[in-house]
Amino acid sequence: MNEDELRSEAKMVDLLNQFEHILESDPHIDEVGFVHPSQFFKLNEEAGHSLPSSDSSADENSVFWNEDHKLGISTQVLLPLYKASKDAFMTANRQFKELNSTSDVSGAENSLCTSPSLDDSIESAVMKHSRALLLLSCDFGTAWHSRKIVVLEKHELSSLLDELLLSALVLSYSPKSEYAWSHRKWVIKSISEKCSTLPEIVTKESELVEKIAERSKMNYRAWNHRCWLVSYMTREQLLHELKRSRNWANLHVADHSCFHYRSQLMLKILEDRCYEQEISSSGYSVEIYLLWKDELDWDEMLIKRYIGREALWLHRRFLSLFWIKHFLTDHTGLSGHGKQKTSMNNDFSVFMDNELHLLHSCSIIPDNSFDDYQAQAMHSATYMLWLIKQIPDSCWIELQEKLKTENLKALLNKVCPERSSTWHCLMGYVEASDH
Amino acid sequence: MGPLTEKIRVEGVSSLSQSISPSMGELASQKHVQFIVSVEKKKDSFESVVMEHIRMNGAYWGLTALDLLGKLHVVDVEEVVSWVLQCQDDSGGFGGNIGHDPHLLYTLSAVQVLALFDKLDVLDIEKVASYVAGLQNEDGSFSGDMWGEIDTRFSYIAISCLSLLHRLDKINVEKAVNYILSCKNHDGGFGCTPGAESHAGQIFCCVGALAITGSLHHIDKDLLGWWLCERQDNKTGGLNGRPEKLPDVCYSWWALSSLIMIDRVHWINKDKLIKFILDCQDIEKGGISDRPDDAVDVYHTYFGVAGLSLLEYPGLKAIDPAYALPVDVVDRIILDR
Repeated sequence: MNEDELRSEAKMVDLLNQFEHILESDPHIDEVGFVHPSQFFKLNEEAGHSLPSSDSSADENSVFWNEDHKLGISTQVLLPLYKASKDAFMTANRQFKELNSTSDVSGAENSLCTSPSLDDSIESAVMKHSRALLLLSCDFGTAWHSRKIVVLEKHELSSLLDELLLSALVLSYSPKSEYAWSHRKWVIKSISEKCSTLPEIVTKESELVEKIAERSKMNYRAWNHRCWLVSYMTREQLLHELKRSRNWANLHVADHSCFHYRSQLMLKILEDRCYEQEISSSGYSVEIYLLWKDELDWDEMLIKRYIGREALWLHRRFLSLFWIKHFLTDHTGLSGHGKQKTSMNNDFSVFMDNELHLLHSCSIIPDNSFDDYQAQAMHSATYMLWLIKQIPDSCWIELQEKLKTENLKALLNKVCPERSSTWHCLMGYVEASDH
Repeated sequence: MGPLTEKIRVEGVSSLSQSISPSMGELASQKHVQFIVSVEKKKDSFESVVMEHIRMNGAYWGLTALDLLGKLHVVDVEEVVSWVLQCQDDSGGFGGNIGHDPHLLYTLSAVQVLALFDKLDVLDIEKVASYVAGLQNEDGSFSGDMWGEIDTRFSYIAISCLSLLHRLDKINVEKAVNYILSCKNHDGGFGCTPGAESHAGQIFCCVGALAITGSLHHIDKDLLGWWLCERQDNKTGGLNGRPEKLPDVCYSWWALSSLIMIDRVHWINKDKLIKFILDCQDIEKGGISDRPDDAVDVYHTYFGVAGLSLLEYPGLKAIDPAYALPVDVVDRIILDR
């Protein structure tokens, strides 16, 4: 190595030390971001350092910004900082693996030879350097894995909780990080075996997803994480989440993932109820009926307010499917007796009349309209095709008096002629069904 | 299994018209080759270096694209093969780069890269197959590695990988299929675990795994075709991966290959999709991006070229929709010809 290389090597190590020192001295950092050097001045200004202070002369050359538990890293140093942290981590990790493999092979005998302090220092080096690395490269799987091994060896709840903090910090700059989400899941599973504060953790997790979903729209991994939590929720939590996510969905009507989350909450409530009823062998509860009815009404209100939103129409497909399956067909607790059968047919008429009315009002395209109205008409027509496909034969005969599929096809070809082959195929599928 | 995917290939594309209109612009093949080769040499920016942990995936994307473009010979085979072998772990699985922990994601890419060069014989096949088979869980699902994350992507990887190695008998295929079917949603699509939102990428994995194991009859093809064809954007002709998302070139692979495997590709407007992919090219510097005028990368370059290959764009080798490898490579391995 020549002198220049040595100097730059030393600089890189300095940089890493500085970075790790900040992380060490402020363990409550909750947000990290990469900042262009020109923005440092602005950050200082916003933080109330408008006047040149004693240390601001150094600011021009500074590469880190740390205030109120927020950390900014200058984009200028990302490359050398990454290289330094990766080298440091890989070296520590190699030593750590060697240590583990020797103690694995000959057990107690060898562990007498290695001093416990050496073990500890290698472990803490792995933890220190992997943290630095993961804040620069969120999906560096090997670094996440080594942290798991160290945490498992420690057997402490506090170190598991620390992992939740780190993965949240990683998600603050990379909300889609696959490894960060999977690490959280692993931690929560480990905690659930150990302690009883799970309901609290589930609530906090759900809040975290909501916070991240605010900045990162339709984040598949984030919402999936929230869906995974559903199986851990108590009945009270399910109802609370349903209420909470409705408020959120009201403001984010295009976020299909949120509506999918709601469908999972509703199905879990339905499933739990079905289980209870099998024991008591009574019919479907009024509660479930009202839950579905309320959701259908709310969805209709949103459809009319926010024109042409695919997510709202797809949610309606889900709601209608289960409505027909559980409240309008023979195998529900509502049917079986003559009187109830009549009420079922009545319910069906009322339901379909409402949906036909909705189709009618949504397929009118004002003269000076925008694309939204075309989309609204298209979604309403494909929604109706979906319904025709789902309803029982006996109901279809009744419905045919009020609705012609040719009219739906004509509507689709009018609002979106370039997709005529798609509409042709869909019509063929719907008409070829058992009806 | 081989003849079945071959059947899909033939039937799936038989309805494709060969009407590539001149107004669409052309595929800048030579520029894309230059771009792919240059990516490998670029090590001076944070953005390129920070992807080194998934270099094995990058190798698969870049090399398969080169092969489809008919330019695989520009690569030094021995150099690639020796690097791939250095990424293998004692467990038999492969890491994303030298010294990285093994994972199914990189193991399939490693096997695919070796398959491209007809070099599967350098592997201790039993060892790789044991690593993959060892990750099957009691319910038929697969974990991505020893840390247990479960995903239908890993089911696909395991099945595709073992099929390429002629070792599908090492897993319980019936249970694997049943797990995939348990991830089917009421909208006809599939998610990463039971109850997870339908996603075109996950659908490719599930449909691909079912195709390879001869289990496509378990799918309601019309219902799934419905969901998939609604991914096409009326205006641009591009496909998205989920409702309300912007179109993205990579779904010209994930959604399109699924439509072909279930024989419903005529449900979308193919000409508009070809135009969308061509509009995402950087004509000057080469490479393809997610959407027109965005920055190019090797991932979207591969999926753009692969999508065009599925659409029978002239001058490209044909690609197999289930194995995501050139048809001649799959024929050589699966049909031994």
